[in-house]
Amino acid sequence: MGGFVAWLESTALSRGIVHYRWIWPVCEIIHFFGLTLVIGIAGFFDLRLMGFMKRVPVSAARDLMPLAMAGFLMNLTTGATFFIGTPHQYVGNVAWWAKVFCLVLAGLNAMFFETGVGARTMNLGAGDDAPRSAKIAGAVSLASWLGVLYWGRMLPFIGNAF
Amino acid sequence: MTGFTTWLQGSAVGVWTRESPSIWAYPTVLTLHTVGFGVLVGANAVIDFRLLGFAPRLPIPSLAPLYRFMWAGFVINAVTGAMLFASDATTKAGQPVFYIKLTLIALALVVTAVIRRTLERGPALREADAGPGPCGRLAALSLVLWAGAVTAGRLMAYL
Repeated sequence: MGGFVAWLESTALSRGIVHYRWIWPVCEIIHFFGLTLVIGIAGFFDLRLMGFMKRVPVSAARDLMPLAMAGFLMNLTTGATFFIGTPHQYVGNVAWWAKVFCLVLAGLNAMFFETGVGARTMNLGAGDDAPRSAKIAGAVSLASWLGVLYWGRMLPFIGNAF
Repeated sequence: MTGFTTWLQGSAVGVWTRESPSIWAYPTVLTLHTVGFGVLVGANAVIDFRLLGFAPRLPIPSLAPLYRFMWAGFVINAVTGAMLFASDATTKAGQPVFYIKLTLIALALVVTAVIRRTLERGPALREADAGPGPCGRLAALSLVLWAGAVTAGRLMAYL
């Protein structure tokens, strides 16, 4: 791991990210825009699956999901920029690993939903209750994205990243 | 103003938020501020994008419960924001970007309220149950103002 970190920090890309002082704040701002889309749009869909806001037809709520995906891609790109810039402050940081764990959990849960019970939720109209497994998938999704946010915010406090 | 910010910074809330080594002090207050922001602006984004024509099959009246989430997010952020300000009042009160942030939030709240009023009271709501929504321009303005508030908030850590 130490060798990988040293190599990554020696690359021109990593040096450039740290050298140009405006890159970090700009990426942080974009990271917060992405956070809003993921929490807002995916959270909205998750809450509907869980049984909140039942007047919302599930398939119509799902039509917004490309925006959540756009937010996720914004955050994957800017998050990768942070990591490439200063990998040493993440690889030894327990909060960062907890964040990665929550990300993997969110990803696996989404895969499970898309390939399984998700199809059975698409014909749910206003007032319809989602199957129990879809409710659980919604709750796991919401909890894991809030976990991603929590551990991301804790990077400087539980670990020592900025 | 200086007298007030100095007093605030030395108050029990200011000192605790800034100096307590507890994970429940500054780190948790800051995290709640981020969660509240995600809920407030995220719920706004759902309605704004819908009004801009995304997800036209989504009935606009069904989105009304989102305003409760916005309120919850706003209350969390008013409280945690006041605590964060108290923890570092003399510095923050001297940052122009802080006042820009507060102004943008005030404007965004006004636009959000106008959109809600239009949706609840106007005939537009009943007519536009499906298809592109009313208030498209206001929705775009809302997104721009909230994005500006977030940008200003982030820049407080750098300027």
